[in-house]
Amino acid sequence: MKKRIISVLLILSVTAAAAGCGKKPADGTDKDSSGGASQEGTGSGGHDGKEEDSITFMAPDWAIPTDDQLQAFTDETGIQVMVNEVGWDDIRDKMITASAGGNAAADVVEVDWSWVGEFYAAGWLEPLEVSDETRADIPTLETFTKDGKILAIPYANDYRLSYYNTKQYEDAEITQEPQTWDEVYQNCKTLKEKGICEYPFALPLNAEEKTSTYLMWLAYTMNGIVFNDDGTLNKDSVLAALRYEEQLIRDELVDPADKTSSGMDTYKRILSGSANFLTGPTSFVSKSTSEEDCSVIGEIAPILVPGKEAKATVTMALPEALGITRFSKNKEAADKFIKWYTSAGMQEELNETNTAIPTRNAVLKKLIDDGRIQNAGAMMEQAEFIASPFPDGVPAYYAQMSNAMYNAIHKMALGEMTAEEAYAEMDSKISDLTP
Amino acid sequence: MKKILPYLLLAPMILIMGVLVFYPIIATFSYSLKKWQLTAPGDIHFIGLQNYSAVLTSGSFWYSFQNTLFLLVIVVLLATVSGFLLSAFLNVDTKYSGCLLAIAILPWALPPYVNGILWKFVFSSGYGFMNKAAIRLNLISQPIEWLNSRWSLLLIVSLVVTWRSIPFTAIVCLAGRQAIPGRLYEAARIDGGNARTIFCTVTLPLMLPFLAIGITAASVTAINVFDEIIALSGYGDLGKNLLVESYLTTFSFMNFGKGSAVTYLVMLFGGILGVFYLKSLNQEENIL
Repeated sequence: MKKRIISVLLILSVTAAAAGCGKKPADGTDKDSSGGASQEGTGSGGHDGKEEDSITFMAPDWAIPTDDQLQAFTDETGIQVMVNEVGWDDIRDKMITASAGGNAAADVVEVDWSWVGEFYAAGWLEPLEVSDETRADIPTLETFTKDGKILAIPYANDYRLSYYNTKQYEDAEITQEPQTWDEVYQNCKTLKEKGICEYPFALPLNAEEKTSTYLMWLAYTMNGIVFNDDGTLNKDSVLAALRYEEQLIRDELVDPADKTSSGMDTYKRILSGSANFLTGPTSFVSKSTSEEDCSVIGEIAPILVPGKEAKATVTMALPEALGITRFSKNKEAADKFIKWYTSAGMQEELNETNTAIPTRNAVLKKLIDDGRIQNAGAMMEQAEFIASPFPDGVPAYYAQMSNAMYNAIHKMALGEMTAEEAYAEMDSKISDLTP
Repeated sequence: MKKILPYLLLAPMILIMGVLVFYPIIATFSYSLKKWQLTAPGDIHFIGLQNYSAVLTSGSFWYSFQNTLFLLVIVVLLATVSGFLLSAFLNVDTKYSGCLLAIAILPWALPPYVNGILWKFVFSSGYGFMNKAAIRLNLISQPIEWLNSRWSLLLIVSLVVTWRSIPFTAIVCLAGRQAIPGRLYEAARIDGGNARTIFCTVTLPLMLPFLAIGITAASVTAINVFDEIIALSGYGDLGKNLLVESYLTTFSFMNFGKGSAVTYLVMLFGGILGVFYLKSLNQEENIL
């Protein structure tokens, strides 16, 4: 018995000691904040041991500059950059676990547009100072602005643009590109009836993020509104978009495989000609001219997104940005890095080395005019219509809201719910989330 | 010194257990008693058992629990039967035994997510191997949407997890078979036993402890399925189990309090099963 008591006491004391060691200051003033991330750094820029002269940078593979570019930054500023290349999905998890413990996952981190609300509410991002010129040149900055504070600077532009297969239109003797969503629907029906394209509309329907965002921009471009001022869903607009999707599914204009494929695979159907129409990422401008990605090169035209009566006057942006973690010890150096990374010169370079679409309209225009972005179509014109559907910025409960939306849409796609029922389910959940 | 020595020798294990087992258990329990939403850092406070009450009254939790139970039953059943049968084949001594054993172990060595992706290619609605094969053989005219209904999705997840679990069960059973002394079979045959009676009176009873290990391992695997579900159906509601529910609550929705309560309930569920198996195992050993 005595032995057991001693053993239990030993275990408890060790556990208590471990608990003590693990405790972090709740206010985030931990002095050893960058440790975790530094250990993970791949050290592409080297490290001389002086923390004030080095920063850690956590981003997905497509955002990592070349060694030469990083060396140029180091030569210019004396700041070493420790690169931590992490899968896009994992960045949010790493940010959450590190920040919850009062640590910095890295000094500079990738910030997706959909994370900005929750990161801001959690107080994990340092507000940034941005010049008026930059403010005017990067319209997607609005997405990363909360309560007047700029929390991250967009580096990769992604806004919704429509694409259609011109050859299939010619084969079906449809002479004009679609101006409205009704025309898109009618043209898809024609293409199917004439046996030119079995499933002409590429529509993500799997239970994942892209399914939610599709509904958002469909409602946004169709009716100009998605959310009411209090953050709840705008019934008329969202229900109309849901009914539109339901009609497409019912008329078998959407591939049944879209219900289980990843959203990106659904988008890619247009690159093989198995879909005729897509409203999707701007990256498809370059994909549509790449022999590696596209088997119908020369047949895909990027056009302005359709609207209700004519072309839509708004489009939704889904950009990616870089921000500074609140727990960073090297905020000044991190700020210099972000400014350098998002500068006009670097945006030009990153387009060449990483095929990143510039977020600065001036750079975007230059690349299109120079012919460095080919088959741009309405890309530049569409960029002028970028706006945010969120009246008060991306909400802190975005992940839960998106989860409610994609699950309801997925059920509708599987025939378990009507558009009305899907709307009722998502509306009830989202209303519970709104403050 | 003599009195202290045993404790000193135990200290490293106690340290490891304390840090890696007991501390997380205690910490998670303390988190589960708090309102702790990461997006509301100024509002973290003790709320007693409210998180548990919220979890246990939510339809989402019980839906995930049903899915977990389904996976548990099917995986344990299939993995045990298949592993037991496979061990009989592996026990046959041929010049290919080593090679066959290596092939049998292969699925066990695959990372779970890769396993899930692999099987997604098989069961994908549009371009999946299963649909293509069935269409080519004129068994179906339209592709079957294997992953679009709750039960067919769960059945496929079960098969995928079973495929990964069979090697371990088979190897444990093989060890059990090879541990049975040959003289027992000889004696049974002299006593007039046929294949069936020898199996029921010698092989099966002596293999029960090994089967219990295999069942416990399969149960733990079935409760902890995560990667395969994500690879096959993502984070949607359709196929989510308790682990996905826990991940969504904690990391996607950033609710550490409620997420910890879900995690704790999963742990309790696993713990109860573990105790049940260990007790059964002890009973079997006592009988033997």
